Amino acid sequence: MIKQAAAFMALCVLASCQNAEELKSEQYFVEGYHLYTANCSNCHQPDGKGMSNLYPPLAGSKKLADRSGIACIIRNGMKGTILVNGKEFNRPMPANAKLTEIEIAEIVSYVSMKWGKDSLYTPITYVQNALQNCKPD
Amino acid sequence: MAYNSRFNLIYLFILTVFVAGFSACSDSERKLPIYGERDTVTKTVDGKEVVDTIYNTIPPFSFVNQEGDTVSEKLVEGKIYVTDFFFTTCPTICPVMKRQMIKVFNDIKGKPDVMILSHSIDPEHDTPQVLKKYAQDLGVEGSQWQFLTGQKEKIYEIGQKSYLSTAKEDKSAEGGYIHSGAFILVDKEKHVRGMYDGTTEEGTQKLIADIKTLQEEYNTK
Repeated sequence: MIKQAAAFMALCVLASCQNAEELKSEQYFVEGYHLYTANCSNCHQPDGKGMSNLYPPLAGSKKLADRSGIACIIRNGMKGTILVNGKEFNRPMPANAKLTEIEIAEIVSYVSMKWGKDSLYTPITYVQNALQNCKPD
Repeated sequence: MAYNSRFNLIYLFILTVFVAGFSACSDSERKLPIYGERDTVTKTVDGKEVVDTIYNTIPPFSFVNQEGDTVSEKLVEGKIYVTDFFFTTCPTICPVMKRQMIKVFNDIKGKPDVMILSHSIDPEHDTPQVLKKYAQDLGVEGSQWQFLTGQKEKIYEIGQKSYLSTAKEDKSAEGGYIHSGAFILVDKEKHVRGMYDGTTEEGTQKLIADIKTLQEEYNTK
């Protein structure tokens, strides 16, 4: 009886462990959604499809696979011509100096889970590391 | 008692106005208001005193469009037009306004008596070439929607004094400028007839409906 209870408890802990990751992913996703709406969606649009030839889409973009690169672009902005989904874009994106590391992690989590292939969140340590190693523009 | 009957009179008056308002609507004779400060002048016509109202009127202007052509108030002579203020590098509300304005543009496309004038409030950066590229990237062709640049002071002046809109430089604002997200509707007599929140779907749809109401005003004249 005690053994059974212990096994059950262990199972619970295991399950909640897994849930903790999922729960965190959901938290990051929701926070990221709000931050994306406030900081990114004016140009990239709520559906991530961008706007005509002015602002590039995120949905379907190969760049989403490079989460470190995305973190750097969010923090530092970018300029120059880029090719996204076969279309050229060359309007500069402004830097977002006001966004904190946790906020960038939440936005990266949101866009990479929503339009990329990730199913889990991007931790703040990952973003911190990425931001320290951003390539100069 | 005196108070009571006066109250009833006011009540009756309000009711009449309401009924009149509704019947006017159904007769599609609804008129848009005229915005801005107004003055009255008293004239003598045929020996009688007549009071004339002078409405806020868009003054003559001279700007340069995305083709590099100088344009003046003659561009909009005999036309209804929608105007707004923006700049091409604006990271905040301009993309939203332009997305909404495209809806207006699609609705008025091909109507010869309706135009759109978008003024840049960052004319030093937004040269005709920059505006041309912006219009192309936005997917706007033809001359029905024109993007204007020119002397900064003149643009700010006409924005604030005539179009009743906020447009000015502010280094502390994101992007360096503050401006309202308003779409402004101007009639053929150059009076402001409507102001709409160009950052919302609701404001945009109201504008599209009001353009039709205003056109109707001229059709029934």
